[in-house]
Amino acid sequence: MIRAERRTGLIFFPAFDWAISPTHPEREERLLYTQDQVLEEGLLDIEGIREYRVREALFKDIRRVHFCVPDEEAVTTRSHLISAGGCLVAADAVLKGEVESAFALVRPPGHHSMRVVHGNRGFCNINIEAIMIEYIREKYGIRKVAIVDTDCHHGDGTQDIYWHDPDTLFISVHQDGRTLYPGSGFIDESGGPNAQGATVNIPLPPGTGEKGFLFVLDEFIMPLLKKFQPELVINSAGQDNHFNDPITNMNFTARGYATLNARLKPDIAVLEGGYAIENALPYVNVGIIMAMAGMDTSYVKEPNYDRDYKPQPADITLYIEKLVAELKDLFLKGNPLKTEFKEGEIIERNRNIFYDTDGIDEKQHEKLRCCHDCAGALSIESTSSLGQHIHAVHIPMFACTACRDIALDWHKKAFRGNFDHLYLQDKVRGVYEKV
Amino acid sequence: MILGLDVGGTQTDTVLIDKNGVFYESKTPTGDNLLETLALALDKTLTNIDPTNIERMTFSTTMATNAIVQGLLADTGMIVSAGPGMDPALFSVGPSYHVVEGCLDHQGLEAMPVNKEAVLNASDLIRQDGIKLVGIVTKFSVRNPAHELLISDWVKNSFSHIALGHQVSGALNFPRRITTTYLNAALYGLHQEFTNAVIRTIGKKDLQAPRFLLKPDGGTVGLEQSLYYPAGTAQSGPAASVMGALALDGCKGNSIVLDIGGTTTDMSVVLNGVPLLARHGIMLGPFQTLVRSLLTRSIGMGGDSEIQIEKNGNLKIGPLRKGSPVAFGGNIPTPTDAMITLDLIRIGNGEAARDAMEKLAVPLGLTADKMAHEVLKHTAQSIAVSVNDFIGYINSRPLYTIHEVVQEKKIIPDSVVIIGGPAPQFADYVGKALGLPYRVPSHFGVANAVGAAVARVTSEISLQADTQRGTVVIPEADVQDKIASDFSLEDASSLAREVIKKQALQAGADPSDLDITITEKEMFNMIRGYSRTGRNIRLKMSIVPGIIPEWNRRKQDDTR
Ligand SMILES: [Zn+2]
Ligand SMILES: [Zn+2]
Repeated sequence: MIRAERRTGLIFFPAFDWAISPTHPEREERLLYTQDQVLEEGLLDIEGIREYRVREALFKDIRRVHFCVPDEEAVTTRSHLISAGGCLVAADAVLKGEVESAFALVRPPGHHSMRVVHGNRGFCNINIEAIMIEYIREKYGIRKVAIVDTDCHHGDGTQDIYWHDPDTLFISVHQDGRTLYPGSGFIDESGGPNAQGATVNIPLPPGTGEKGFLFVLDEFIMPLLKKFQPELVINSAGQDNHFNDPITNMNFTARGYATLNARLKPDIAVLEGGYAIENALPYVNVGIIMAMAGMDTSYVKEPNYDRDYKPQPADITLYIEKLVAELKDLFLKGNPLKTEFKEGEIIERNRNIFYDTDGIDEKQHEKLRCCHDCAGALSIESTSSLGQHIHAVHIPMFACTACRDIALDWHKKAFRGNFDHLYLQDKVRGVYEKV
Repeated sequence: MILGLDVGGTQTDTVLIDKNGVFYESKTPTGDNLLETLALALDKTLTNIDPTNIERMTFSTTMATNAIVQGLLADTGMIVSAGPGMDPALFSVGPSYHVVEGCLDHQGLEAMPVNKEAVLNASDLIRQDGIKLVGIVTKFSVRNPAHELLISDWVKNSFSHIALGHQVSGALNFPRRITTTYLNAALYGLHQEFTNAVIRTIGKKDLQAPRFLLKPDGGTVGLEQSLYYPAGTAQSGPAASVMGALALDGCKGNSIVLDIGGTTTDMSVVLNGVPLLARHGIMLGPFQTLVRSLLTRSIGMGGDSEIQIEKNGNLKIGPLRKGSPVAFGGNIPTPTDAMITLDLIRIGNGEAARDAMEKLAVPLGLTADKMAHEVLKHTAQSIAVSVNDFIGYINSRPLYTIHEVVQEKKIIPDSVVIIGGPAPQFADYVGKALGLPYRVPSHFGVANAVGAAVARVTSEISLQADTQRGTVVIPEADVQDKIASDFSLEDASSLAREVIKKQALQAGADPSDLDITITEKEMFNMIRGYSRTGRNIRLKMSIVPGIIPEWNRRKQDDTR
């Protein structure tokens, strides 16, 4: 019998009975061929690889992260709850020590879902990684978490949720936002006033290949993780950087993904996007599972690799080398981006957010208390083109008394008559309210 | 009249069944020579019976399992082609294993042609080793058997027997396909000898009726038809017990079936008369296979298990058997000695059994009776712990659709059916330990032989249709056809139904007893660039394990 070097949990939920719409890429068939490949490889027979049953996440699990408008039920389907629940199963498996690492091969994805949810953005309704991380923090007392998002699209939802959190290092590697949805994720997006440098964006040029991704990993991401010293590393393992992917322009491979995973050694990997369901996903997923289990992945290869994969051109290599040098300067050697803010200063910002899938426009007004001791009190007023108007207050888990007091005050003073709903997310007490 | 014969590790059980039910049962010690044991058991059974009255007979055999465990597998070469994934060298089996270039993808499309030169070269190397048997397996051959058929065609004149991977099972699992194909080739000669010998033996006794072998899935296959799939007849003992319990008890509701023997206790679950099947194939010796099997678990706990008192005074029963019970001349006390002490059965040397209990009891300040009672209670509790663990395992199997998650039917057993030699003595203890009502059917001691006798022929096929490619494949039945773009789920169903009928009849099924069940039915729209380009249909159809109609027509009189 073949044995895995590392005990690995696999949570497979292909949601064979759910699609966004009858002909949408996020469809029933999406993980069908992945399942075929995983079964045919016999990966589930390997000693040390253990498959877990999914469960449904509860609305309570969502409330640790999101302000759902008008409520959780309206913006989720069963499928979202099970997809998020699959991540919770992965978390339990790893944190209880049953396995050394786990891969939640679930759909639908979540990394475009922001803190406030009015509907579906970029195929995502709720942020399954964030729901998992906040569950872990509450249940297992973990504080410092790093997320490495290797989906081809900028993980703008996850970035939004952790923008102000200095305890979460969010690193997104993606195709340059000037050439792809959602059009964000530039180097200068590096975290809010209280969490400067805890958001790191690595926009790569179209055509980036195995060499480029692994260079970025070895030269920048690994040293950055070493510097941050997370207790837990999560990989948002989107697979649309693949050279066969129909909706992106990158040039990554199954073996590349496997190598990346083997070097990154995430505690938990969560599937995100990836729509080359026949000629990329089966091989990438097999590669990731094998890499997590510590197995030799040198035989993992797309059948069309030799014919269609073109090594990364020299000009792209050069571009990436320069980019990495710049990133190193910014994030590894001190942090020249850092702006000094006065303790107690209230910083406001206005934002417009577009929900492409559901065609919703959202306007946000955000208030943050600058704080040197915690992630800061946060309030958001949000109005959607559907006519919903809400006031939401977030008290971070390790909030200082000053921030907590001011946040509670904001919540108390918000005039009920001006809003459809008032939300309070008090992570200190674990209280999540809506009136 | 129906004859059932189940070869167990220590005893071979035989029953005869007529229109009134079981009217004869006997036990014969299992010897080293399987055929001698068989002849002996038949001699005993057929005294005073007119063999021409026998209309049907089923045997279980340990031939394949013994051959695997004793290292008697014939030298067999393997020619394998893989494509991307795990290093195919990891699946090496047998003395002459060769990987050749060639690749089919998960849809069965050729990604790389098979390298003919490499195949011929491998074939030469196998022959140079003096090997006459070969197994041919390619990855995803169940989606498209073309490469296996091609390789087979190139080497067919070089070998006396060729086993092909896609015929083994429609399930996706390349490593298991390799081992199962290997075993089918490596056991071919032995199995042929065995079936011929059985035919001679029963011929000598003028037994002319249809004869069957029991399979680990609780179904049967015609003796002659089993020739090419010997691995499929290995290790059917636990299935015999389940089918016996099903026949004798009916197993209504959610029943746990416990077969308590001398050395082990086997457990399984029957839901409203249908036994649960294992998700993957059975394990044969060190080989993970694709051989379909009932879901059973065996623990080292039985009437003859060793009793120990641990340092802290706790009782420990099993998992080993260290010789006979004290009542039968052994040195180590066993639960059987406890039953004898409590006068639950009157066998062997009762005094010796009581002395043994006494010896255990004194340091604990107990009487022999109390000790014996504690032993049985503890044994039952240990069995109950394992049963609950087994149920937990069943209830944790993965779910892949929202429907399944929402429906989430947890299996909660509502009764326990207990069979095996010491069933009546243990039943009350086990029922209490599980907190469930229990039943001990008549003929509990030979339930396995009853199960073998009355199990119906089973069969399974897997259909995959891809309307974009215009193909349908049923690997187990070697069906590959072109289909039109409007090929529907209904078309798939009727094709599958036709094929499984044919296959079951070929395996010796009774045409009036073809209980066909769809075990899996999925249809996916294939979406390419925001439009539907075809349908992917997957269908699994089977004739599930069950009891032949003759048994159900018997007069309900099993009390004789
Ligand atoms: Zn993406
Ligand atoms: Zn603060």
